Amino acid sequence: MRSSTETWSGATADLRHLLRFRSGTVRRPRLTAVAVAVVVGLTVVLAVAPAWITGLPADRARQLEDLLPAAFAGFLLLGIGASMGGGGGRELLPREQAVIHPIGPVTEHLGALVLAPLNLAWLLQAWALLAATALSVGPQGLLGAQAVVVLWLLVATALAQVVGWSVEGTRRTRHGVLVVRTLTVLVGVALLVGQVAGRLDDLVRVLPTTALASSLGDPGWPLVGALLVAVLGVAVAVGAVPARWALSLPPREELRVESGVHEARPAPVARLLGDDLALLRRLDRGSVWRSVGMRRGLIVLALGPALVALGGGLEWDTILILPGLGASGAVLLYGVNAWCLDGRGMLWRESLPVEPARIFDARTLVTAECLVAVSAVPVLVGSVRNGLPSQQVAIALVVCWLVAVVQVLAISMKWSVRRPYAVDLRSPRATPAPHTAMFGYAARLSLVTTLTGMLFVGAAGVDVWWLPPAMGAPFLLWSSVRLVRARRRWLSAPARAEIALTVAAG
Amino acid sequence: MTPVIDIRALHVRFGEVEAVAGIDLAADSGRATALLGRNGAGKSTTMKVLAGVVPPTSGTVLVNGHDVATDPLAVKRTVGYCPDVGGLVPRATPWEHLQLTARLRRMPDWEARGRDLLERFELGDVAHRVVGGFSHGMGRRLSVVLAALHEPAVLLLDEPFDGVDPIGVEATLEVVADARARGACILLSTHLRDLALEACGSAIVLRGGSSVAEMDAAELTVEAYRALLD
Repeated sequence: MRSSTETWSGATADLRHLLRFRSGTVRRPRLTAVAVAVVVGLTVVLAVAPAWITGLPADRARQLEDLLPAAFAGFLLLGIGASMGGGGGRELLPREQAVIHPIGPVTEHLGALVLAPLNLAWLLQAWALLAATALSVGPQGLLGAQAVVVLWLLVATALAQVVGWSVEGTRRTRHGVLVVRTLTVLVGVALLVGQVAGRLDDLVRVLPTTALASSLGDPGWPLVGALLVAVLGVAVAVGAVPARWALSLPPREELRVESGVHEARPAPVARLLGDDLALLRRLDRGSVWRSVGMRRGLIVLALGPALVALGGGLEWDTILILPGLGASGAVLLYGVNAWCLDGRGMLWRESLPVEPARIFDARTLVTAECLVAVSAVPVLVGSVRNGLPSQQVAIALVVCWLVAVVQVLAISMKWSVRRPYAVDLRSPRATPAPHTAMFGYAARLSLVTTLTGMLFVGAAGVDVWWLPPAMGAPFLLWSSVRLVRARRRWLSAPARAEIALTVAAG
Repeated sequence: MTPVIDIRALHVRFGEVEAVAGIDLAADSGRATALLGRNGAGKSTTMKVLAGVVPPTSGTVLVNGHDVATDPLAVKRTVGYCPDVGGLVPRATPWEHLQLTARLRRMPDWEARGRDLLERFELGDVAHRVVGGFSHGMGRRLSVVLAALHEPAVLLLDEPFDGVDPIGVEATLEVVADARARGACILLSTHLRDLALEACGSAIVLRGGSSVAEMDAAELTVEAYRALLD
């Protein structure tokens, strides 16, 4: 008997049921509705308001227009990175819950498409493209231009999904992991060589996105729109083929990691922070880097923006925003629900005779390490393209970076102690919190870090060396207060018990 | 003399739910006591309180003379706890679990005992494998090993036989016997009456968050147990 998910209509119906089920489990539906309304409202504002900004210098306007083709291509590239990193795309139901239901690969494919926008990188890139288009086109022809941009966002998401499922399928074949890694390194090296040879701009010029960007504001946009709709339909339909293939194969990499052997190492000795803390940090580091999803996610989040910085020719003032965005993306891998690293082992860990403060400190330090590592790569790659920054920009960059990491860390630890979730992060498609919560987290983090980054962009443009540190001080103070409050809550035995029971219930 | 485990009028509430509603319980050293009851009777919550993981809402709980409400760290040093679910950090190896528990309990020479316990529970050949790929039974066996490593004065085993094969059951019964022989106080929670009777000398039956009977294990016939559950 054919299952209902083997047909497109069946898959669509199943998708509807699953989305309804997931939306019914939202903890705070009113707040979620408000958050969604805010994001939608912000999207509309960003798509419309910049069109009425006047007085942009001619060279800046031209620079913006020149950047649009690369930004369109960058959106596709980041989408591919997200779907590759996420093992094909997000899952509608956590794997442990999904096994008892007859959910087919086409439903999974459609679910991954629908859930793709609940991603910080997707959301920010979409906002940036909409705002840049509005700024570039102006009020005349804005509606048509934004219709084309929205269609491109959908097409790029569907195309990225096709690549994502294909890569996941390849990864699940016998030597697939090696093939994927080799290809990824080759693409990275090719981009680097292209940059060093100064040919990346030529490459961007021959991409179809250049034609797409030049059609913005053009009266012939309905034709472009119709073409994009056709491509969208084909991409969605074609994506089901690699999805079926990938999901029919066993996840080799996950299975290999789950049965991975790690030879015993002597217990670490740390004079500065204490031996217990050192061992706890080692265990927590292992929990992060031995997870396929987190390891892959951290690499993608480090390299994705770095490639955009390289290929898109981002100037230092734009690169200043990247550490905050990188840190926000990294913390969404597990940091917003940091205790989920322990999974069901949290009850055992809580029964160990160690000061609760040490456990909090270890988790905070390991999360901070991840944030620093991820946010460092785009900055370093940016310096390859732009050379060393001026003294003022360098000071602003260092302070902005520090502020972003501490800010994101404080927010994530606060969420971790206030709203823990039971999740199983074994699958790279899993998320540390339900999709609606993740959407809220992503939106808030992106808003906070982007606004903070923009403040420091302003400070980098004023030739007063003490301005960035002076601006950073209140941010650091406030984030430290938040972090101390989160720590204090963790030190409360009833709150800690609640967290342990919730996380271990998964 | 004060019993090693001394629970008086213990209440534990999670919001509106009262998981434990006034339990009084005492257990002495050198004895193994079975904690029996239906699902939701309060067995696991009582164990979590004794392990220092969940603080009591009200009542007094002393473990080896330490009050769990005021000195949970001392309680954690005293007990060895096998939780009812999971109990393992998914991406760490058994050896790393043992290393952490030994380090935090200041055991410099733990490796020989750790190896011995892993061999007894037939986990020696997977000592360096990530536990995420373990079967449920393997995970339960490792949880018992972790609870027993430091030869605790109080051994708390919550559903240690759940999904465990006969070799694992035998090894767990041996751990209980060894602990009893060296004078430890053992509290063992299970649904399996026969195994509880085999492992323990006395039994306490919980119902609806309260203790309803305390007797020698031999007196707990199938009929008596059934009558106490209903």
